[in-house]
Amino acid sequence: MVDNTKKIQNDTQMTRFWQSAKPYLLAVIISFSVSGILIGILGYNVPRAFQALLLKSFSSQRGFIQTLQKFIPLTLATYAFAIPFRIKFFNIGGWGQMLFGGSMVAIVGIALASFNLPAIIMIPILLLVAMAAGAFLSLIAGALKTYYNINPIISTIMLNFVAYYFVNFVATTNPWKASLGHPMTLKIPESGRLPELLPGLHMGILIVLLIIFIIHFMTNKMVLGYEINATGINQHAAKVYGINMERTLMLTFLMGGAMAGLGGGIEVMGVHHRLIEGFALTSGAQYGIFGILTALICKGNPLGVPVSALFISALLVGADAMQRTAQVPVEIVFVTQALVVLLIVVFRSTGNK
Amino acid sequence: MDKNITVLETKNISKSFGKVKALKDVNFSLYRGEIHGLLGENGAGKSTLMKVLYGLYSADQGDIFINDNKVNISSPLDSIKLGIGMIHQSSTLVPEFTALENVILGIEGKKLSLDLSGERIKVKKLANEFGLDFPLDVKVKNLSAGIKQKVEIIRALYRGAKILILDEPTTSLVENEFDQLLKSIKALVAEGVTVVFITHKIREVLQACDRASVLKDGEMMGTVSTTNTTKEELVEFMFQNKDIDVTDSALPVIELPEVKLSKEPVCSVKNISVKAQDKDGVNLQDISFDIYKGEIFGIAGISGNGQKEIAEAIINPRRINQGDIFINGESIAKLKTIEVFEKGLFYTPEDRKKEAILPSGTITENMLLGHHREKRFQHNGILNWNKITKEAQQSIREFQVKTPDEKTPIGDLSGGNIQRVVIGRALINELNLLITHNPTSGLDMGSVEFVFNKLVELKENNCGVLYINEDLDELMLISDRIGVVHAGKLVAIFTREQYDKYKIGSLMIGG
Repeated sequence: MVDNTKKIQNDTQMTRFWQSAKPYLLAVIISFSVSGILIGILGYNVPRAFQALLLKSFSSQRGFIQTLQKFIPLTLATYAFAIPFRIKFFNIGGWGQMLFGGSMVAIVGIALASFNLPAIIMIPILLLVAMAAGAFLSLIAGALKTYYNINPIISTIMLNFVAYYFVNFVATTNPWKASLGHPMTLKIPESGRLPELLPGLHMGILIVLLIIFIIHFMTNKMVLGYEINATGINQHAAKVYGINMERTLMLTFLMGGAMAGLGGGIEVMGVHHRLIEGFALTSGAQYGIFGILTALICKGNPLGVPVSALFISALLVGADAMQRTAQVPVEIVFVTQALVVLLIVVFRSTGNK
Repeated sequence: MDKNITVLETKNISKSFGKVKALKDVNFSLYRGEIHGLLGENGAGKSTLMKVLYGLYSADQGDIFINDNKVNISSPLDSIKLGIGMIHQSSTLVPEFTALENVILGIEGKKLSLDLSGERIKVKKLANEFGLDFPLDVKVKNLSAGIKQKVEIIRALYRGAKILILDEPTTSLVENEFDQLLKSIKALVAEGVTVVFITHKIREVLQACDRASVLKDGEMMGTVSTTNTTKEELVEFMFQNKDIDVTDSALPVIELPEVKLSKEPVCSVKNISVKAQDKDGVNLQDISFDIYKGEIFGIAGISGNGQKEIAEAIINPRRINQGDIFINGESIAKLKTIEVFEKGLFYTPEDRKKEAILPSGTITENMLLGHHREKRFQHNGILNWNKITKEAQQSIREFQVKTPDEKTPIGDLSGGNIQRVVIGRALINELNLLITHNPTSGLDMGSVEFVFNKLVELKENNCGVLYINEDLDELMLISDRIGVVHAGKLVAIFTREQYDKYKIGSLMIGG
């Protein structure tokens, strides 16, 4: 009898697992089939394209490192959207917050160059500056919502433009700009650069792993995480039982912005070591917008963020490989990604029927 | 009533929702021109059966006959064509439209311009015929619940309804409005209309109906003529238990202990005025009352006259624009909700699903809501889930919540079990004052009795209770005193000796 109950419980657990996994599997299978057909119609070698797309990231060390390189900024950009999304608010400004984080790191890094601070002080300072810069931008949106009831979708989009042109301003203006060549700033001092762990992989990966742990801990173990969860599930009940909606809103935007800012800062500190004019479209900064997609795949679930960020990073690396080996345009992968997100959303909402 | 003519009959109607069998082989018949009571506890299947007849649900099996012809009802459009009209429990009128516009809504024709002169005459004639007069050109939002019901009845008749289903029509009516409704219904049946009167109050069935059918757990227990049946027989029918003690409003009979009230009030509300938070809200004006230790202080009023605002002013006193609130003599006007809770207050809101629970959260997570900043559950912002889980498990045992475990999402539980969790959460600390709004709505008899017993227990432990309820029967049963609110003002306070349904009722509608 006891065994039986246990078995039934296990069975329901299995069905529950399949119920929740089904939309994702279906979405991935269907969108890959569609893109396979597309690749075939366009006249490319389908098996070769898929081999590159799916296996590149995990079959070679180089591919895996490339995946992690993208994983670092993408995860942080995903949190930028996912955390405010927990309470049903949209931070579309992850991109701008990233750019602003990167810009401020360049400015402060250059300003501190003459002090000759050791790395153990310099790196934490710059990381904090990056977070503060991102948070500053997102808090503007949070405050506009709290005090003037302005939809954060609008304000965060607008602030993206501000940050975009701020990058260009910093990269082309004294005292930061480099004297020669492409518009960009001077390099930040050696002590502010993130050291490499492996060739091509800087210390940012450790920071991201730490962040994943902290956010997981915050969500599941802390009063703050509980308040965010409660507000996300039912803001009316949360309000009745004493959770301050405005405070929660500001805090989620603050954390989201800080994550994006950190992402931008880490890219400057770990990859270019300076701010270049095209920062908005290169390095990891272009993933600021991608983070929205990635967060939607995992419904903004904090534990799902690294998983879906890894999935998308692997796809991006695979897409490059596919272009090289089978000459299939990278854009096919964007089509696939868009389909995955769209189908997941569709299947999730129809899954209960 | 014409006993020879059966206008509607169902044969072996069954309907399931998932694993729950809501209706089991239900046979039911209506005579032309009768008032037929459909009696049963919450969850007995009354509304489900009627929704099947109205085409809102389709039956899994069984047949429906109208005038001895088998019919197929797959949507309300079908049932309207067959002459069935339904008046739902809560108003389905468009508040911004006038009464006349509401009556003709949906059958206003396809002309470009809306000329209502022809319709006006027809509607007026119909209303006169049945003694259901109401102002045609007043926006529905400005009409009282009783008048709105008349508009809904005329709307159904205008569409040719010969069988009218009234789903718990007395919920938002006061005593004299009920008398009015009864008069209208009598006029309708005199003209050959058949009326189904859904209720859980035995008293109303005996007062209003010719025959009554009793549903229990989705099964039809039988049909009786009200002229030769008694309250006791109906109770036995409804609960299948001779020993159960219920009032004629189908409330469990409770013994209220004699509690010596303290001299000092536990809660003292002094001249508070609060501006409404949203546009549907009510402004509270100069409200004052005291609640003593061991007292159940009832608040009566038609829904939306400031009850919710009073409760929220106490738990969130920073909203108060004027006046003050004292708990054991200490002002709480500057406190946040969480700090008010620390003074030994707690609240169970009216709208369980919307305001009381986190539906997809576990029972444990729900148990924590409102207690999440208490020192015993958190240290430096880090939660002690072990302790919370233990508290939840204990609450599940003590409050007999039917659930596999404390990790089950609360949204998966039945209404009665959700309410047990909500009340259990309120009582995990020793309280000075419990504020509870309609805690028994939608609950079965066992759960209602459970809630009542808990309130009595609080009373014995010297806790004050602010008991807000729209059901006057319930308030009069359990409250030591009743305050009546109307349009944001506390218009009167009655002590138990002064209770009078008609008096309180007329104050509730501003009389």
